[in-house]
Amino acid sequence: MAGAKNHDYHILPPSITPLLGSVTAFIMFFGLVMMFQPKVFGTYGSLVFGAGLIGVLYTFWTWWSDVINEAHAGDHTPVVQLHLRYGMIMFIASEVMFFVGWFWAWFDYSLFPVPLEVAYDEVKHTFDITNLFGQEGAAAASQFPAKGLEVFDAFSLPLLNTLILLCSGTTVTWAHHALLHGDRKGLINGLWVTIILGAIFSCVQAYEYSIAPFPFAGLNYGTAFFMATGFHGFHVIVGTIFLAVCLGRAYKGHFTPQQHFGFEAAAWYWHFVDVVWLFLFVVVYVWGGWGAPVHS
Amino acid sequence: MKVMKKFILACGLLALPALAHAQEANPATVPATVDAKAAPVVAQATAAAEPAATAKVDAAAKPAASTDGSLPGYTPMKPTEGVGMPTAKGIDFQDQYSDLGVRAKQMNNNLLLPIIVAISLFVLALLFWVIVRFRRSANPTPSKTTHNTTIEVLWTLVPVIILLVIAYPSLTLLAAQFKPAPKEAVTIKATGNQWNWTYTYPDHGIDFTSNMLKEKDDPTRAKDDRPRTDNDGPEKLAVDQRMVVPAGVPLRIQTTASDVIHAFAVPSLWFKLDAVPGRLNEKQLIINKPGVYFGQCSELCGALHGFMPITVEALPPEKFAAWVAAKGGKMPGSATPAAPAAAAPVTNDKAAAPAAAPTK
Amino acid sequence: MSTIAATANEFQAHGDDHAHDADHKPAFFARWFMSTNHKDIGTLYLIFAICAGIIGGGISGMMRWELAEPGIQHLTAWASWHNGLVGGGEATLNEAYHMWNVLITAHGLIMVFFMVMPAIIGGFGNWFVPIMIGAPDMAFPRMNNISFWLTVVAFIMLLGSSFVPGGSGYGAGTGWTVYAPLSTSGSVGPAVDMAIFSLHLAGAASILGAINFITTIFNMRAPGMTIHKMPLFVWSVLVTAFLLLLALPVLAAAITMLLVDRNFGGAFFDAAAGGDPVLYQHLFWFFGHPEVYIMILPGFGIVSQIVSTFSRKPVFGYLGMAYAMVAIGVVGFVVWAHHMFTTGLSVDMKMYFTAATMVIAVPTGIKIFSWIATMWGGSVSFKTPMVWAMGFIFMFTVGGVTGVVLANGGLDDNLHDTYYVVAHFHYVLSLGAVFSLFAGFYYWFGKMSGRHLNEFLGHLHFWLFFIGVNVLFFPMHFLGNQGMPRRIPDYNAAFAYWNQIASYGYVIMGVGVLVFFANVFWSLLAGRKAEGNYWGEGATTLEWTLSSPPPFHQFETLPVVK
Ligand code: HEA
Ligand code: HEA
Ligand code: CUA
Ligand SMILES: [Cu+2]
Repeated sequence: MAGAKNHDYHILPPSITPLLGSVTAFIMFFGLVMMFQPKVFGTYGSLVFGAGLIGVLYTFWTWWSDVINEAHAGDHTPVVQLHLRYGMIMFIASEVMFFVGWFWAWFDYSLFPVPLEVAYDEVKHTFDITNLFGQEGAAAASQFPAKGLEVFDAFSLPLLNTLILLCSGTTVTWAHHALLHGDRKGLINGLWVTIILGAIFSCVQAYEYSIAPFPFAGLNYGTAFFMATGFHGFHVIVGTIFLAVCLGRAYKGHFTPQQHFGFEAAAWYWHFVDVVWLFLFVVVYVWGGWGAPVHS
Repeated sequence: MKVMKKFILACGLLALPALAHAQEANPATVPATVDAKAAPVVAQATAAAEPAATAKVDAAAKPAASTDGSLPGYTPMKPTEGVGMPTAKGIDFQDQYSDLGVRAKQMNNNLLLPIIVAISLFVLALLFWVIVRFRRSANPTPSKTTHNTTIEVLWTLVPVIILLVIAYPSLTLLAAQFKPAPKEAVTIKATGNQWNWTYTYPDHGIDFTSNMLKEKDDPTRAKDDRPRTDNDGPEKLAVDQRMVVPAGVPLRIQTTASDVIHAFAVPSLWFKLDAVPGRLNEKQLIINKPGVYFGQCSELCGALHGFMPITVEALPPEKFAAWVAAKGGKMPGSATPAAPAAAAPVTNDKAAAPAAAPTK
Repeated sequence: MSTIAATANEFQAHGDDHAHDADHKPAFFARWFMSTNHKDIGTLYLIFAICAGIIGGGISGMMRWELAEPGIQHLTAWASWHNGLVGGGEATLNEAYHMWNVLITAHGLIMVFFMVMPAIIGGFGNWFVPIMIGAPDMAFPRMNNISFWLTVVAFIMLLGSSFVPGGSGYGAGTGWTVYAPLSTSGSVGPAVDMAIFSLHLAGAASILGAINFITTIFNMRAPGMTIHKMPLFVWSVLVTAFLLLLALPVLAAAITMLLVDRNFGGAFFDAAAGGDPVLYQHLFWFFGHPEVYIMILPGFGIVSQIVSTFSRKPVFGYLGMAYAMVAIGVVGFVVWAHHMFTTGLSVDMKMYFTAATMVIAVPTGIKIFSWIATMWGGSVSFKTPMVWAMGFIFMFTVGGVTGVVLANGGLDDNLHDTYYVVAHFHYVLSLGAVFSLFAGFYYWFGKMSGRHLNEFLGHLHFWLFFIGVNVLFFPMHFLGNQGMPRRIPDYNAAFAYWNQIASYGYVIMGVGVLVFFANVFWSLLAGRKAEGNYWGEGATTLEWTLSSPPPFHQFETLPVVK
């Protein structure tokens, strides 16, 4: 359509993907609700959720395939590439605000601790929590992490993970430079190293979770810790997949030194994930665990 | 370690969220700045303390019901029509029975209300003038003026000045509302439950639960619940057991909750304080005159949020003592409520302020 | 804004819509279900918002009916009927009371997220932001469409929540603020989960929309359309989009925490396990206060266009107007705790939030006075959009100044959670945002549909609505002063008088809304054809250089703005 088009903007043909994505997102979330509430909805929640999830993933797939095809068709004029840049920056800005919420919770608990006493049963993985609220000596008992809680040693695995992520930040830059110099081999190698580092990070994080001296539920420390680091972990995985897609595209020779926004977006995202981790490391692991006995 | 923690905080965390909470200073985290005498809110609540989450409503505490809620030595005061309750067709605030309430009401009625009415009428008048003077038939050729620095500066500065005029009394009012209760103040802890209030008098050893009185013809009224009479107060505002307090002396009202958030509110005393699980909020209240003052829970707390009223009965101190006795409590030895309130001049305003803050 | 005039004439030629490429429309299904056209998506948003407005307005009618007199009149019957829909029986009294909470929750959420926002940002923003900056479409046309459809499924999710258990009865009864722990441990059953996911979906839609608007406005302005020449409506959407982008993710985090507490044993707001219920309020209002400006700023923009058009004068103090909105947006992020004055904030915090909140009156005053100054010396014609805009200016002032009263922490100790607050926010919303919505609708309907609305019916609608909502909401100030709490289905007899009057007001307003719909139908069936610029010389923005309705793809050759 748009035969008389006399400008560089991208006028798109109709597409079913948005409707598909919305409907499947609905199904996915509804499936989640069903899973939360088996008493009301029975046991098919995971099926509904799974169906929705597949639909959502399919939406992502077709959507971005379309974008890539359009890029190859030459629809991504310089101004359209600029749109994509703005879009990605705005998206990352909104993600930053999302993390503000989780940090806010962490600060609330750490700056205004409640008088809790915690006894952790290593075998049963349960807490025995005494809330001294309103009782004698409560003021003295207010500390964060709560009395009796063991935390991770910030300077062991978390520090290792910090180094891994920092490293991966440099390797993705290596890949970018290679790309800019038209060095496809370098690009591919840089991406491989970055992805592997990202995967190692996730593994280390998963291992750390598995030996956590505190559970997710039942205590503010655990919930806030796992949700903040967990959402970060989720972003690491998304970023890794994003980079992997770029790797695939690099093999196919999609990127040129002039036009490779897909790669740049992945790199930006990766740096964002990196920066969030630095904040997590400082605020949650180092400062947030300060003074508490370290789990060994 | 604490110092270290705080130092790192001070350097690194000027982020807004931190700021917002930073002032919710809490005796527990700021031991160095808190005056030991003024602050230990928590300690004062010890007598009746229970972990919030497990506070239970003790139905057995209900005294054997007389038909009008009276006890040996205490007969509930009959409320005065139009005092401490809303009035039909009323448009103004309820009459106020605390000094701060009088002051706040005056601030609204003598300062803010005139200002906002004047601003609204001014805008309306300008619009009318436009309609009259600049309608197309009256002014066929429009001017092209789009700037006039004087007037633009004027309509920026004048509102600023108006706001400053409002801000001064407003901030001093706030400061006055935060005067902490003196040491000998009578402490009453109001605990919100779904859906009634528990009142605890730690100094007197009294503890009871207060429920809304249902109407005589209400089919949902349990047989042994006495129906509301006009002596109890207006419909939906009267309760079976009132929160009885001495008039004319400082009260330390503490609020907390056992399940979800409620709010303890009495309009004619200009008093409203949320009752939050896991927190103990505190504020001073001085009721000027004996009387019965009605209020309602003011935070959505579930199905019966509209049906957990508050009735405060302020009595002359000696009658209050009689009520305490009738309830089976005893007056604390030395500091009788009859003692003049002037006793403890507040010496350390700043340090005492956190006493009004949560003690999570 | 006088500088906005198109010099290129080519694009005007698209006026005759025969057999022109730019006007080749896809077939029905592709056009309305797979759209990548900003005008069609805008139309979809408007239709959606009208449906949501009917539902949300209808629910408020049920509320006013119940509140018309003391006692429980209808709730039990409604709750029983509602139970019947899902196979339950006669409602208990608790279920009837719960029904009330479900109604107010649905009303608040629908009006905010599914009526005002879709209409004013999704509808008018989509239609006119690209045109006003001389762009052929939005920057991300496909993403534009998913914003719309996510809003639709979010709405379905919310409506669906009323058919599943939510605590004391069916549906989510938490209030639109969804405070914890009432929304966590206090509401068992899936209703609140569904309401929360509804907000997630609507929030995602709005974030994507915000990204789209920001990119469009920054990158797609026609040659010569500098930032400081953009029409004020575009400015208003730009500021709004930033508020959406930065505020909504915080809400997303907050309601995700609710889900965690509800379903995974989380302790974010569980006081017994170290959590903090008030944390939720901080997070909610950090989003919530910007949200109220999200609802009003585009209205400011619309009113600016209209006032200028019908005064036949450029906007007075254009730069001041634009940067006043920026200031409102910025300051709007640091005043949130004025909704939390009674939670136990310290005195310093209350002082800060009192002062910061009042500051917003200054830029808002600049806007009010600049609108009046725009009319001043003008040659004002009182067409329907203009009377709505003037109504807006006055009614918003009334709502704004009561906001300044509430901003005083010392007074809010009494007024918080009373009907005074309800009066305040309906003056800025139902008489502010909704007035600007109707103003914009009357202003642009001809442009969008190609048909004129009837002027007489428009005026009749205005007067009925204006009188109705004032009778409806003004007495609520009195109720609030007298201490009537919000969110209660039944009240003491002393509150009966003004409540009854308020409910009469609803009826008057309701007749006005019927006139509105009659007008729309009449116009679509038999309305006079609208020419390109039917408002005449005062209308200077780019949409008036196009035919009515504009070609399917406008500005195939970009206009040049001098
Ligand atoms: C469109 C939506 C909108 C808008 C624009 C506003 C605008 C304002 N609001 Fe409002 N507000 C709401 C929607 C809105 N509000 C909602 C929905 C709630 C309740 C939420 C809930 O609890 O459910 C609420 C609640 C609310 C509260 C909390 C009350 C409580 O719960 O106890 C407060 C307190 O400060 C407040 C203040 C203000 C102020 C100061 C403004 C200012 O921006 C107003 C500025 C405007 C003017 C002042 C008028 C024009 C100016 C002049 C003519 C210049 C001269 C004026 C002076 C010098 C004063 N609002
Ligand atoms: C935009 C927001 C908005 C709007 C327009 C309204 C409109 C109305 N509201 Fe609402 N209200 C809220 C937002 C809004 N409200 C919120 C947030 C709450 C708090 C909820 C809570 O406590 O959690 C509330 C609470 C609330 C209460 C208090 C309930 C309680 O506390 O117990 C009451 C009581 O009377 C009430 C009544 C009404 C009435 C009679 C209208 C009437 O004005 C309605 C008339 C109908 C319309 C004005 C719609 C017409 C529009 C269209 C049909 C669409 C047109 C579209 C285009 C032109 C594109 N509302
Ligand atoms: Cu208790 Cu509302
Ligand atoms: Cu606000």
